[in-house]
Amino acid sequence: MTAYIIRRLLQMIPTMLGVVLLLFVLFNWVGGDPAYILAGKVFSEAQIANIRYQLGIDRPAYVQIGIFLKQIITADFGASWSTQEPVSDILKTRLGPSLTVLLPLLVLGTLLAIALSLVVARFRRSLTDRMVMIACTVGMSISILVYIIIFQYVFAYRLAWFPIQGWSDSLWTNLTTFAALPILIGLCVGLAPDLRLFRSFMLDEVEQDYVRTARAKGLTEKRILWIHVLRNASIPIVTYVMAALPGLLVGALLIERFFSIPGIGREVLLAVERSDFPVIKAITVYVAIATMFANLAADLIYKAVDPRVELK
Amino acid sequence: MRQTHDSSVPETIPEKSGNGFWALAWLRFRDDRVGVVSIIFVAAFFIIVFLSALGAVASDWNKEVGIHDAPPDLWGLLTPVPPPEAMGNAAQRVAQTIKTAQHGEALLPSTVVDPLAETLAQLQGERMEGAFPESRVVDPLAETLRELGAEGMVLSAVEEKNAAKRTSLPFGGDRWGRDVLTKTIKGSQISITVGLSAALLATLLGTLLGALAGYYGGRTDDVLNWAYSVFNAIPYLLLILAVAAVLQQRGVMTVILILGLTGWTGVFRLIRAEYLKHRGREYVQAARAFGVPDRRILFLHILPNVSHVALVKVSLLAVGFIKAEVILSFLGFGVAVDEVSWGSMLNDAYQELILGRWWELAAAGGAMALFVTVFSLLTDAMRDALDPKIRETS
Amino acid sequence: MTTSANTAKLTLFSVEQLSVAFRRRWQAPFLAVRELTFTIHEDETVALVGESGSGKSVTALAMMGLLPKDSADIPEVSRIVYQGCDLLRYTDEERRRLRGTDMAMIFQEPMTSLNPVFTIGYQIAEVLRLHKGMSAVASKARCIELLDEVGLPEPRRALARYPSQLSGGQQQRAMIAMALACTPRLLIADEPTTALDVTVQKQIVELLKTLKARHRMSILFISHDLALVGELADRIVVMRHGEMREEGSADQIFSSPQNRYTQALLQCRPQLGDVPSRLPVIDDFMVEATPRQTPAAFGGTPFEKGAKRKQGEGKAPPLLEVDRLRKSFFKREGLWRRYEIPAVKEASFTLRRGETLGIVGESGSGKTTLGLTLLRLHQATGGAVHFDGQNILSLSEEAFMTYRRRMQIVFQNPYASLNPRFTVGQSLIEPILLHKMASGRKAATSLAFDWLHRVGLDRDAFDKYPHEFSGGQRQRVALARALAVEPELLICDEPVSALDVSVQAQILNLLKDLQGQLGVSYLFISHDLAVVRYLCDAVMVMRDGEVVEINDVDSLYRHPQSVYTQQLLAAVPRGRGQPA
Repeated sequence: MTAYIIRRLLQMIPTMLGVVLLLFVLFNWVGGDPAYILAGKVFSEAQIANIRYQLGIDRPAYVQIGIFLKQIITADFGASWSTQEPVSDILKTRLGPSLTVLLPLLVLGTLLAIALSLVVARFRRSLTDRMVMIACTVGMSISILVYIIIFQYVFAYRLAWFPIQGWSDSLWTNLTTFAALPILIGLCVGLAPDLRLFRSFMLDEVEQDYVRTARAKGLTEKRILWIHVLRNASIPIVTYVMAALPGLLVGALLIERFFSIPGIGREVLLAVERSDFPVIKAITVYVAIATMFANLAADLIYKAVDPRVELK
Repeated sequence: MRQTHDSSVPETIPEKSGNGFWALAWLRFRDDRVGVVSIIFVAAFFIIVFLSALGAVASDWNKEVGIHDAPPDLWGLLTPVPPPEAMGNAAQRVAQTIKTAQHGEALLPSTVVDPLAETLAQLQGERMEGAFPESRVVDPLAETLRELGAEGMVLSAVEEKNAAKRTSLPFGGDRWGRDVLTKTIKGSQISITVGLSAALLATLLGTLLGALAGYYGGRTDDVLNWAYSVFNAIPYLLLILAVAAVLQQRGVMTVILILGLTGWTGVFRLIRAEYLKHRGREYVQAARAFGVPDRRILFLHILPNVSHVALVKVSLLAVGFIKAEVILSFLGFGVAVDEVSWGSMLNDAYQELILGRWWELAAAGGAMALFVTVFSLLTDAMRDALDPKIRETS
Repeated sequence: MTTSANTAKLTLFSVEQLSVAFRRRWQAPFLAVRELTFTIHEDETVALVGESGSGKSVTALAMMGLLPKDSADIPEVSRIVYQGCDLLRYTDEERRRLRGTDMAMIFQEPMTSLNPVFTIGYQIAEVLRLHKGMSAVASKARCIELLDEVGLPEPRRALARYPSQLSGGQQQRAMIAMALACTPRLLIADEPTTALDVTVQKQIVELLKTLKARHRMSILFISHDLALVGELADRIVVMRHGEMREEGSADQIFSSPQNRYTQALLQCRPQLGDVPSRLPVIDDFMVEATPRQTPAAFGGTPFEKGAKRKQGEGKAPPLLEVDRLRKSFFKREGLWRRYEIPAVKEASFTLRRGETLGIVGESGSGKTTLGLTLLRLHQATGGAVHFDGQNILSLSEEAFMTYRRRMQIVFQNPYASLNPRFTVGQSLIEPILLHKMASGRKAATSLAFDWLHRVGLDRDAFDKYPHEFSGGQRQRVALARALAVEPELLICDEPVSALDVSVQAQILNLLKDLQGQLGVSYLFISHDLAVVRYLCDAVMVMRDGEVVEINDVDSLYRHPQSVYTQQLLAAVPRGRGQPA
């Protein structure tokens, strides 16, 4: 077990180097000279040369990659190009609001989808099942933008049940007031795809031999679904949820933007709009690290819930 | 060591089959009513896309044929109700909103009495800033333009020429008086083309790499897996936004390349697993025992056996990419300013909705929902006919 | 046909006019079971015997009430009577209450039939808590008792084990313990030993016999293997295509089978004792049977005695000499350590031209790995393989190409050994052209037709896809494909294990005929001692990667030297009235 974790941690190093290399190529070669972006509209050659010296991009590639690695290890990416705020501060202050929206959303969404998928699995291959699945397909086909626009317009702007946007310093106010509509939207958007996926997990299990055994034992259908099937289906569900976790952090950017929630996602958008490379790079690197740890955690949980798995 | 199962129902193959896998799949597909209906709708969409690409329809989507914010009449089925504000004011209102946003004043038109007015104004201001591609920092002209209130002027100028324009349009008109119907057709063409092309690109790339990794294993697999884990470590949306941030160029080709070159990982994993599975199958072992060259085994023996997986994956990806393109274009990182897609339409529509003009939102959102729905239903039917085991994640 | 011995016993279950139809697409419903009538008395073992598709499992599921509601129909006239009540009139809830208490069932694949994420103890206790309302403590004590009874070692520790931590035989024991939890009146065992090795099969059968005697319960034993059934059944019901062909006491079925199909089943199966030169096939008994598949060209009347194998007379030159061949797989453990899992340990043997060497072993013995390593489909870890004097392990891939033609292989699973997207013609022509057995497509096509004919298939097979054939026919295609390049050595990796008994006989005869015509040498890998005895000149017994014993076939079967070989031979089911 320990050996497994250590080996997985070691395996992260080449992956991380790959991410660094990818970002380096992307920001230094594909996108053209960052100095011109930083210099803005009015610049002289001397200014450009100065900026290039400061950024270190006049030096050989390996030195620059070295600088990048040092930035990652020391968690010091310098200051934002547009706001001059230290990048590390930006990350620290933006994480809280993001999690305030995402954690309740994740927990509620997953539980809701599991419960509904069990109900649907009971009616598998019936007309009800088919109708629910088609409804899910329609629900998934509507752009998340349309959901946000309409929900914001109807519930916040027209009916004024929720504030249109905003954020406060109090966690409670945020949860009950400002994050409520975003979470509701997130639930509506996420339910259909999750339900479809979880249902397919359940149906995979329903067709297994052990379900036939459970019936031969005389168990009730309810117990078969809620104990035997659910316990097995929880394995792919946990894996899926864990793998989706880091992506969510960024994926909620539209919601954060529409509702002016000062989270990571909104910061990404702002940085992309302002070509604020240090912020993008830092967020990408840390989200990548978070992803790798989430994957490791997913595998460990996988091991915990599935006795067949041997981590070697 | 295993005996065959005592299968309760023998394989159901219709009499007089004499056909291969695809013919049988077609028979199964034909039996699926939802699938058949959806394929008709998808075909209709493709015809429109094709005609639009040829320039036969919607080539003049950019022409301002109606008055500003012309209301929809659905060819006379709907009595057009002009919005409460006077028609002609639209341009000035937009200009005013921009100005309001610039000067931070909460000046809303008096028609809207709303306790949340202040917040709304802020919202609009922010929206404007983010929405107009011209307003982005990288554009050196943006600031100057805005200072001059040029947009308002341009709009007013256009408006003067508009005396003879139509007062209502089938699906309504947008803020510049462009026909929402033709705009939707053109937008559909762009969005669908982008989604499908990018999906094709990603699938080709993923299939090729996945085949090599899965079949050869060893070093090849290690290297390709490394590339996979690198791409996979960065959440997809973040990756395409990062690429969009460095690529200053906007346009259809750029979006296709961004989506296609970053989106191959899911296909890679799936196809790699398939090749891994088939490599161990007896028919591949038999081919190897004959000394059939690797290239032949890879592409002649195994590929036809996994091609249906790739096909289903193309359509799953296409849906994902259409959604991604819509978000990118909405945010201004997608199609260029002089192009239109469902995403850029939704951006226009968002601003219009707050002023009570719902029709562009309905048209763009509805067209997308309809297409994606029928396309997804088609994919489902196709998957059921080909191999129900293919998953939609990853 | 009921025997007098049973008249004294009370009827426990009676199945009357049971029919089961499965709805399907495009076609009329599939009648899996047709008007089946039989009874099970108290304290009696009844066996349902039949080949795949005979409807025996469907019958069992119908009795348990486990058939899928949405696709299976049972007509009104059918009755399944238990304690005077027709179970088919019961509600779902009433039937559920009977399951696990009055009637229990065990299945073919113990691995997948147990829930992988719950411990053995939990799964057994679940039955006790549900049906008997036992407390956790009481149910635990009872679980230990049960596990002890079915012979699981260390029952206390076994409670906390997950199914994946047990061997196949132990899993089946756990399944039996679960089925016995509420001491049911009837235990239905659906091919309970088919997935197990022959020695384990013997143990499970013995266990079932003991338990039956102790609890005076009835057993419905379902199997394809008549000989196995003979070991424990009181009465036997023979089924084919959903219909009963014969019912009688076990003694009567074995000594004087009335039905021709029963006779065929008994005769088609090679026996350990008497070795005919040809096996009778089902057509020899049945006029109504499946279309003829052995063309006249291969003549040879059944039961043609006397054509004794040509042993001793002038030894043929060796074709394949294997010298201390080793094959290991490597697995990682810990941080850096890789440890070796030997699959084949120092195997040495010789195969002479035109002869057949049988390789016998249970699962995990390394026999399949050995075959693949000989063909260089696995890379050998050590040792040498001389083919016609040349060490083929040291050759480059290009130089080995000619040997790829000279050595060929036929696999076990006829469903996977043909490319599903190739027509039979495409599958045949590719190797013919690759090894230049014919010049040009036209000549290759006619050669392919020729081979189809030789393996007993029609011309129109050429344009068909594998899924359009039965398992036996596919195996014929695979055989044609391998032989079309005229190899000198053919490795047959369990070529008949996946086939029904009657089809097995046809393929075995075909193999024998082709060897006679072509002089090809066979390396015949099998777990089935009787089949090996029928086909081989010499036999090598393997266990855990090691060669246990190697000898010519008669000596090995008459005087097995090693204890393991003796165990293997003793475990082969013999049915009744058939001496070893």
